Amino acid sequence: MTPGLTRRRALAAGALIAVSGCLDQTSDTGDGDGDPSNGDPSNGDPINGDGEPPDDPPTTEAPISMGHSADELLDQAISGGVPKDGIPSIDDPVYTEAGDGDAPGDDEIVFGIEINGDARAYPRQVVVYHEIVNTEAGGEPVSVTYCPLTGTAQGFYRGNTEFGVSGQLVNSNLIMYDRESDSWWPQVPAVAIDGVHTGNSLQEFPVTWTTWGQWREQYPDTQVLTEDTGQVRDYGTDPYNGGYNPRTGYYEAGSPLFAPIVDDDRHQAKSVFLCARTPDGPLAIKKSVLREESVVEPIVDGQSYLAVYDPRLDTGYVYANPDGRSFEYVGGELQSDGTTYAPDELPLDRVLRLDAMWFAWSAIYPDTEVYA
Amino acid sequence: MIGRRLSRTTAAMRAALTRPESLLLAVAVGVTYLLGYLYAIGDLVVREGVGVGVAMPVGEPLTHMLGRTGPVSFEAIAIVDLEPLRLLFSPLNTLLGVGLAALVGINIAMSYLAVTQPRSCGLGATSGVLASVPALLSGSACCAPVVLLVLGIQASGLLLTALTWLLPVGIVLLVGSLVYLGGRIDPTPA
Repeated sequence: MTPGLTRRRALAAGALIAVSGCLDQTSDTGDGDGDPSNGDPSNGDPINGDGEPPDDPPTTEAPISMGHSADELLDQAISGGVPKDGIPSIDDPVYTEAGDGDAPGDDEIVFGIEINGDARAYPRQVVVYHEIVNTEAGGEPVSVTYCPLTGTAQGFYRGNTEFGVSGQLVNSNLIMYDRESDSWWPQVPAVAIDGVHTGNSLQEFPVTWTTWGQWREQYPDTQVLTEDTGQVRDYGTDPYNGGYNPRTGYYEAGSPLFAPIVDDDRHQAKSVFLCARTPDGPLAIKKSVLREESVVEPIVDGQSYLAVYDPRLDTGYVYANPDGRSFEYVGGELQSDGTTYAPDELPLDRVLRLDAMWFAWSAIYPDTEVYA
Repeated sequence: MIGRRLSRTTAAMRAALTRPESLLLAVAVGVTYLLGYLYAIGDLVVREGVGVGVAMPVGEPLTHMLGRTGPVSFEAIAIVDLEPLRLLFSPLNTLLGVGLAALVGINIAMSYLAVTQPRSCGLGATSGVLASVPALLSGSACCAPVVLLVLGIQASGLLLTALTWLLPVGIVLLVGSLVYLGGRIDPTPA
């Protein structure tokens, strides 16, 4: 396949705001050692009735601009047909060791995280019924979130609050609410569109979409979420009439549940892209292309980036590559200047990335760079 | 007028439920409808490997069972496995299902009488069946009505609003159908 690098400007008139740079850009270091800090009222952050911004969840400025204002997204919010907390988050997760009999099958999709050396895996077949797991990992209070309708798994620092499922969707994407201020946070952009945090961004850490067998192989000391959630669900079945391995039903093809807020038919709506909010703008790389080419070198707003496939976890990583360093991909590793690197350990600045269905990313960031 | 119609409906229901063949039909249809309703809202699952057993993993079942999972669906508090059936037992969903099933069963029994009675008008035999459909479509998955996912229909706010009214509309239709049928059945013994 010939890589085609294209740039698309915002479709909605007046909606495109110039890319704002990399202030407080969350880096995808993989070790979760970010320093979550609170919003600063002097920077125009919303404040609560006491004149102080809420402490939790920790926020930052949005790393890049969406193709829509918060108000525009709020106008597009729609009930998903369930009441607030009708999809119950997991607030007291129970984990087990990798070798335990309650662990999932090797081919089951899990969302893996590693924070301060603490590796955790969240089986999709459990999280699909809850969408949010409020937990602690590596000493940090965090939330691991998954939206089945957009195929996105993302992790957020939550401070001393928790996130819940609002029952609202925008662009078919989960809108979370925080239990401190009741602000609304669409998962993909992770920017509040309603409440005192409006306009602020959550602080994010990387989540890896992989299989249990691959995750366990890389992180043998990992813990894995069990089905002991305190809720009654049939965890062996999928509530969205589909499945993964192989992808079937809703997850395979067809239209999103709700019409995307921006139509972009350059790719099949459910195609999986590796997406990143780079300091120079949004970037989407078709995952099947990355898998095939192993290393790709997209340009975002004139700046060089490098994306690398990691066959160990069937994932990819995105790096800023301002000096245009070249790496040779050999047997799943990268070589440069006589040194060999693992795909997740290149001597470059890594940018947080996530897997997302095409429509989920392109509708929020219509001006995204695309490598496909 | 209304009182007379209701009185006649009550008498027709009594007639339908006291005759063995129509009573049997009411029970059979009611049980089938209940199972269908629980299946449609996701509380009844058919799959291999569930085994046999009962589990109640929730901490405070009396509180938990009041939690809403949809416009008119509620949390389950226990898992009842009887290979290959798995019931996620929600007391309120089951109560609602039993009520609907009773309405449907009686409708069908009265329709049966309407068809078989030589002195009845012979109309309305299908009204109970038609009235039973909306409630079956009201089940929701996590973020979406099951019927839309199964049929691959793209949702809209208007459609979702319409779907939330399916259950109350279904109940009204079933009750209306009973009254309609009641006017067309001779409740006196054949």
